[in-house]
Amino acid sequence: MSRSVWKGPFVDSYVLKKAEKSRESGRNEVIKIWSRRSTILPQFVGLTFGVYNGQKHIPVNVTEDMIGQKFGEYSPTRTYYGHAADKKAKRK
Amino acid sequence: MADRVCVGAIAGSFGVKGEVRLKSFCAEPEDIATYGPLSSEDGAASWEVRLTRPVKAGFAARLTGVATKEAADALRGTRLYAPRDRLPALPDDEFYHADLIGLTVVDTGGAELGRVKAVLNHGAGDLLEVAGKGLKQPVLLPFTKAAVPTVDLTAGRIVADPPEGLFE
Repeated sequence: MSRSVWKGPFVDSYVLKKAEKSRESGRNEVIKIWSRRSTILPQFVGLTFGVYNGQKHIPVNVTEDMIGQKFGEYSPTRTYYGHAADKKAKRK
Repeated sequence: MADRVCVGAIAGSFGVKGEVRLKSFCAEPEDIATYGPLSSEDGAASWEVRLTRPVKAGFAARLTGVATKEAADALRGTRLYAPRDRLPALPDDEFYHADLIGLTVVDTGGAELGRVKAVLNHGAGDLLEVAGKGLKQPVLLPFTKAAVPTVDLTAGRIVADPPEGLFE
């Protein structure tokens, strides 16, 4: 068994605690976290995290296809707006 | 809702035969040619666009009425606008960024929260950047049915039911 398999995914413990607390309360809230290095786990699906990018917390709605990636991947630290032109946004 | 949308810009001439170097701002860059005729910012001039080939950072293109390198050079920096009604209709719950930007955001009680400044997507769904007088810095609102139950383009407003703590 490779080392990465037996060690399991890394998650900061406070992220787990905050997620569990939020799920138990059932409140619709943004869970503010600073841990960009934490792995997204299956129990986070459906929750909204505010992932810090060094300046502000970017809301990240966790979906199934994000499992296994890090929170920081969804909270860029640089801003680029680009042009609106014909770009589309879908309300999910 | 704006009646015209900026879809590209002319970066200068390309070659010596009157072609221009075109920068496209569209999601699919080639689509810029389908939105013609494109007009200048003041609406004084308009051109049909024919893309000839892709080049570095854009396209080489021919514009109607532009036949010389000098004429193409003179257009450098011109922004190209397409009529809003040339953009194809979208299914329900899909909106053009150009339509969303500038809408007033109100909460479920009717109190104004701000205006949509930009639409962002960092891979975890679309976000509306809302800026307003009462906000220290712009707030990012998830563009979901739960957080944004109503989008009324004709009235120019969005009803938001933001998660707790977002607008504090």
